[in-house]
Amino acid sequence: MLKVTDLNVHYGAIHALQGVSFNLEEGEIVTLIGANGAGKSTLLNTISGLLRADQGEVEYLGENITNFEPQKIVPKGIVQVPEGRKIFAAMTVMENLEMGAFTVTDKKLISDKVEEMFAKFPILGKRSKQLGGTLSGGEQQMLAIARGLMASPRLLLLDEPSMGLSPVLVEQIFDIIQNINHTGTSVILVEQNAQMALCIADRAYVLETGKIVLEGEAQEVLQNPMVIEAYLAVTE
Amino acid sequence: MNRNLFTTSINKGFTFGIVMIFLVLIDFEVMAATMLSKLLGVNVVRGALPEVRFMIIFLVLYGLFVGWFASSDQEKPAKKLFQALIAGLTVAVVVGLFDIALNQLITTGTDVRAYLAALGPASIKLFLLEKGALGSLLHLGLFTGASLLGSVLKILLKSDPMSHFLKGISTVYRDLRAKTQAITPNWIKEYGKYLLFLLIGLSAFFLPRMWGSYNNYVLGLVGLYVILGIGLNIIVELSGQLMLGFAAFFAMGAYSMALLNAPLPHGIMLGFWPALAIGVLMAVLAAVLLGLPVMGMRGDYLAIVTLGFGEIIRILLKSDLLTDFTGGPRGIQDIKGPTLFGQPFSSDIDYTYIILVFMILSIFIYKRLERSRTGRAWMAVKEDTKVAEATGVNIKNSKLLALCLGAAFAGLAGGIFAARNQFTGPNDHQLMVSMNILSILIVGGINSVPGIILGAFTLKGLPEILREIENYRLLVFGGLLVFMMISRPEGLWPATRPNIEKDEGNRQKAESPPGKGGQHD
Repeated sequence: MLKVTDLNVHYGAIHALQGVSFNLEEGEIVTLIGANGAGKSTLLNTISGLLRADQGEVEYLGENITNFEPQKIVPKGIVQVPEGRKIFAAMTVMENLEMGAFTVTDKKLISDKVEEMFAKFPILGKRSKQLGGTLSGGEQQMLAIARGLMASPRLLLLDEPSMGLSPVLVEQIFDIIQNINHTGTSVILVEQNAQMALCIADRAYVLETGKIVLEGEAQEVLQNPMVIEAYLAVTE
Repeated sequence: MNRNLFTTSINKGFTFGIVMIFLVLIDFEVMAATMLSKLLGVNVVRGALPEVRFMIIFLVLYGLFVGWFASSDQEKPAKKLFQALIAGLTVAVVVGLFDIALNQLITTGTDVRAYLAALGPASIKLFLLEKGALGSLLHLGLFTGASLLGSVLKILLKSDPMSHFLKGISTVYRDLRAKTQAITPNWIKEYGKYLLFLLIGLSAFFLPRMWGSYNNYVLGLVGLYVILGIGLNIIVELSGQLMLGFAAFFAMGAYSMALLNAPLPHGIMLGFWPALAIGVLMAVLAAVLLGLPVMGMRGDYLAIVTLGFGEIIRILLKSDLLTDFTGGPRGIQDIKGPTLFGQPFSSDIDYTYIILVFMILSIFIYKRLERSRTGRAWMAVKEDTKVAEATGVNIKNSKLLALCLGAAFAGLAGGIFAARNQFTGPNDHQLMVSMNILSILIVGGINSVPGIILGAFTLKGLPEILREIENYRLLVFGGLLVFMMISRPEGLWPATRPNIEKDEGNRQKAESPPGKGGQHD
């Protein structure tokens, strides 16, 4: 479904992605794990069009979409949920959801989608007229995900959805991600919480300083001594 | 304790005394007395001085304020009186010493106007209540008495029976309102809004005919500034681009009207309406030319660039280089007014109608925009450009559209402004125009149409009516802005967004800090 070949991205003099290649099949959850600054978010931002690639190719459903603008990529069904629960704090929950469907022009479809989100996240229905900034952390993350789903994506790019949430909420969010996946949406999941991410993912890639150093089935990666050492080791 | 009370009161009195001296040095007290005189129905001819009694009223008001301010809330009544007495006496002594110096100036016939332009002998005599040296004694009595009175007023108004009384009134009012609401038939509730619109519409139609041409002129000016305010609000508040050179677009409209309509310098003599339309288009064109290169800028940088743009346009209009084309510093005269169905339609009253129609149209367009998909996109871009981009908003187009729409409003107002004055020149498009419009937004209330109307009236209408204030405009302006930011930071008439449950929101806010703070919980 998505095929990334030899992707290179620079931030000025910093070579943030150094020839990254990976692929994703329809219906999969693929997780990208790695330390801070490994290039995970850069990779997502390049796929969604927020950043330009200097070299390499992003192919989606057989079409080359490298360096397309986000407003062209979103209607094709790739939607990113940005890092750090970036909701529109001064807009109501309802307006946030409507912004998610910005590229959709069919009003009936939008209101159907809103109903669907309220069914999926009842708490958002209760808070629909509240300002986004007044929601709690977990609710904000749900809103961010729901906003992403408003555009009916076929591929959802999630950037650290568990960031800064309590363990109970993290579990809830991961359940939601699995549910989304079961309804047919493919997911690329960027996570620092490698344990949780690997448990729900089909396959995994490990990024280190802009390069992919390991890839494989999630369960295999979970057993890999290097991964256990670097990302899963429990400190006493 | 008492000693402390004594010194703080002396301090306060000293400050008020010095302030009074400064006010006299800039002749503010005469202006204030003139305004009081006009407010109380005694007209003062321009250039003449008001009667002595109005000066006394001003001084008493000042003394009342001193007394009110000097008596601290938490002290007992006796101590409040003591504080007010000390403060009033201090003011009187400070001002009294100054009075003696002033009197010396008059008796020796020294003219200090070379150094202090406002301090003429006539003003000094008026300030001394036409009594010369005796004036300082009168001041002593006035300030001390008024200060004591101010304190007494404060004691009375803040006393328990009084606050009970005030509370009682508000309860009665609330009950009455609830009751009337209960017995009002539903059709009034439903159609009351339209009834109100009809009333406003009728009065908008008939009132200008009853007012003199001067009032119509002022009303038209306020209307034009409402249009300008709405335009700038789209750029600055809806789409979040700080624009400081808004007068440039105003100038585009005004000069398009002037160059296409006036006999000199080009003699194109196009009619009012096509010239107005072209003026709007020219303003939009200027917005595109400015917008394309600066779209990537934000905040301070954008503010500086737009500020420069506004000044460049004004200086170009004024420059010798373009004198043949724009009329240079002298501007362009004899701009013709509009016709309607072949009849001339250009008296002050007619312009009031034209401006009102365009004002209502602007408000309508603005309201539609605010609630539209585009309006939501602007809000999103303003809040978080990156996330808005990720949801599929075309940032560049969205910002450019806001700039163009805002400029169109400015071009419209500029065209009408030039035609109504039958003249436009570089001085009509100074930086102060841009600042005035921005101040209207800040004073009135951001994103709020009633706020913009109120702001335009406060900042453009009132100074026109109270001409005396003109020389003190910046002083009053600055004071008003500081006062506003402290007491009503959201403006005189803040915007209310529909469909928001505010109380609920506040409760939630207390539980978890929103935005950036919330990310670390």
